[in-house]
Amino acid sequence: MRLSISHETTYHYEDPVRASIQYLRLTPHDSERQQVISWQLDLPRPVRAQVDPFGNILHVLTLDEPHDAIVIRARGQVDIDELREAEHEGQSAFPFLRCTRLTEPDEALRGFADQHCQQRRDRNALIDLMHALNQSMVYTPGATEVDTCAAQAFAGGAGVCQDHTHAFLACARSLGIPARYVSGYLYSEDSTHLTSHAWAEAWLEDAWYSFDVTNQMARPQRHLKLAVGLDYLDACPVRGMRRGGGHEQMHAKVLVMPTPVIEVQQQ
Amino acid sequence: MIRTCFDEMYDGAGQVRPHYREFARWLAQTPPELLAQRRREADLLFHRAGITFTLYGDEQDTERLIPFDIIPRSIPLSEWQIVERGCIQRVKALNLFLADLYHEQRIIKAGIIPAEQVLANEQYQLAMQGLDLHRNLYSHISGIDLVRDGDGTYYVLEDNLRTPSGVSYMLEDRKMMMRLFPELFAAQRIAPIDHYPSLLLDTLKSASPIDNPCVVVLTPGRFNSAFFEHAFLAREMGVELVEGADLFVRDDHVFMRTTDGPKAVDVIYRRLDDAFLDPLAFNPDSMLGVPGLLAAYRCGNVVLANAIGTGVADDKSVYPFVTEMIRFYLDEEPILKNVPTFQCRKPDELSHVLANLPHLVVKETQGSGGYGMLVGPASSAAEIEAFRARVKAKPHAYIAQPTLCLSTCPTFVDNGIAPRHIDLRPFVLSGKETRVVPGGLTRVALREGSLVVNSSQGGGTKDTWVVED
Repeated sequence: MRLSISHETTYHYEDPVRASIQYLRLTPHDSERQQVISWQLDLPRPVRAQVDPFGNILHVLTLDEPHDAIVIRARGQVDIDELREAEHEGQSAFPFLRCTRLTEPDEALRGFADQHCQQRRDRNALIDLMHALNQSMVYTPGATEVDTCAAQAFAGGAGVCQDHTHAFLACARSLGIPARYVSGYLYSEDSTHLTSHAWAEAWLEDAWYSFDVTNQMARPQRHLKLAVGLDYLDACPVRGMRRGGGHEQMHAKVLVMPTPVIEVQQQ
Repeated sequence: MIRTCFDEMYDGAGQVRPHYREFARWLAQTPPELLAQRRREADLLFHRAGITFTLYGDEQDTERLIPFDIIPRSIPLSEWQIVERGCIQRVKALNLFLADLYHEQRIIKAGIIPAEQVLANEQYQLAMQGLDLHRNLYSHISGIDLVRDGDGTYYVLEDNLRTPSGVSYMLEDRKMMMRLFPELFAAQRIAPIDHYPSLLLDTLKSASPIDNPCVVVLTPGRFNSAFFEHAFLAREMGVELVEGADLFVRDDHVFMRTTDGPKAVDVIYRRLDDAFLDPLAFNPDSMLGVPGLLAAYRCGNVVLANAIGTGVADDKSVYPFVTEMIRFYLDEEPILKNVPTFQCRKPDELSHVLANLPHLVVKETQGSGGYGMLVGPASSAAEIEAFRARVKAKPHAYIAQPTLCLSTCPTFVDNGIAPRHIDLRPFVLSGKETRVVPGGLTRVALREGSLVVNSSQGGGTKDTWVVED
């Protein structure tokens, strides 16, 4: 199916920002599941696209002139093969075994993973883990912060998609299964609404399989992938630093336009 | 391993070795009061010059002088030439390994190193995958730690490919010896080392494809234990010493703030760990790095010396494979030996280690500075049991080696002169050619019987002489 997306993010600052630099991961790339028909990123200055260490498309926005707002607009069309459940990649999955500060498993997480997966290391084991994590961590915006680690969020029994994903990664890696953080969009069943979202992928039988703990989905049925990484910090849409600016307010508007695809009937 | 130690100055029969005879003659002829006076002068001069190091582990981190001992560690030229060739060979192989690891990974495909050993290693930097570096050089400045066992054989204790330090002490020690005892340098031919800063600058410049590139030294700042060295080297090379805040990235190029406006920077001799280099790519809390630096680096617009991601090659768990790397990449036999190493991540080696803890030195694969290790023969039963529990909990994080009887060198102690254990760190510079300044830094464990030479744990240094035979 084809999605037509517009994502506008505006940052407002109470004082002028003297200088800022942002790593932006707002551009999807082609994969087995996704074909980018067109994609445009409108930024305050022209910026060349690069590829980051995880293969994500990266734009580095440096603003040297004082500014009190930054407007970033991403729009484009992507064809999604909704039936495809697994993605193959040439790169080694071993680097995704390591844990980061945000995904370090503590005894509680290790125990939880052992309890729900036992000796199993297959897709069903991770599906069970996904459901169990969803039950144990109630979706609660505001319960955690952007730098809350998996162990803390799990102990608190609450979090948002970022925390669900970090907890899943901590568990999967503690079982010796390479797993990675995915940042992207989730679209509604009728494809009229789109939100920024995060979920996990795990490497099983030589391919990456999706595990969305928040929505309890083991297939990427309504997911559009933007970036991957070891955790939120590697894959997040915007990561930056600034000098000055005071209080920051961020507004995001994500729209999806219906794009009927005319199917050519086979005679 | 042989139990009696090799003494650098005296042979088995108690006779002074040929390359020490001049020094021994001078020592015998020099009145003790004069020696004592010169040693006090050295202390004063070092203090005045601010040649200090921060000792961790005290109640507060204290800045101390690194004790300097005036009895040199002397090596005959013919012996040094073998050590030099061995270090060059080793660093060449390690650079080839890094280039291979971050590109085709032939050594993994050939089954010599298990993929997981390196690819799941925390020091393996995804950011380096597929990135082509000028001259394929990753470790431009390498410090190879060597020790000698009871029969005088040199062993490589460890490779240092990230931010090896100590060269400033090597240079200051020599300056001090020449100032206090010029007569020693007139009596015999001791290979000079004062050209190190210009060799270093040359090496850093050749790391860039640009003609006459702008080189800077990036320091974490004055509170870093090796700050003296950062400032010293920048001054000796005639280049700017900068902190992260002095640099910025614009449009994937790195600039330095100057009173004349921004100046493009081409080569950064960085004395910051990988994790602190770019808060947008690595540790987000680091105030020491430059936001955007990784993007500029991956675009090929700036050279970092040493490159990001060299830690995977000097990791203690990769150390056992280095002799194989020399055979695989250079098709040569290793000139310098590795210390036999047990990898605790292997079950049969782990059981051997646990059964022999009192006789082994056990180290964390991610440790440094002599911390987090067990020296079996010097530990109490309680210390050994506590360490046993740590190893059993995380076996993959430890390696073990038999205790070597590190060579000794006469050293001034409270009651006169006595043998103390030493090691040697030659510094290998890899640029258009690979070069080693004769000798290196000799570190001495000042406590009797101690095998821990690290300055961060109270060790001292000696001047290192390569003497013409």
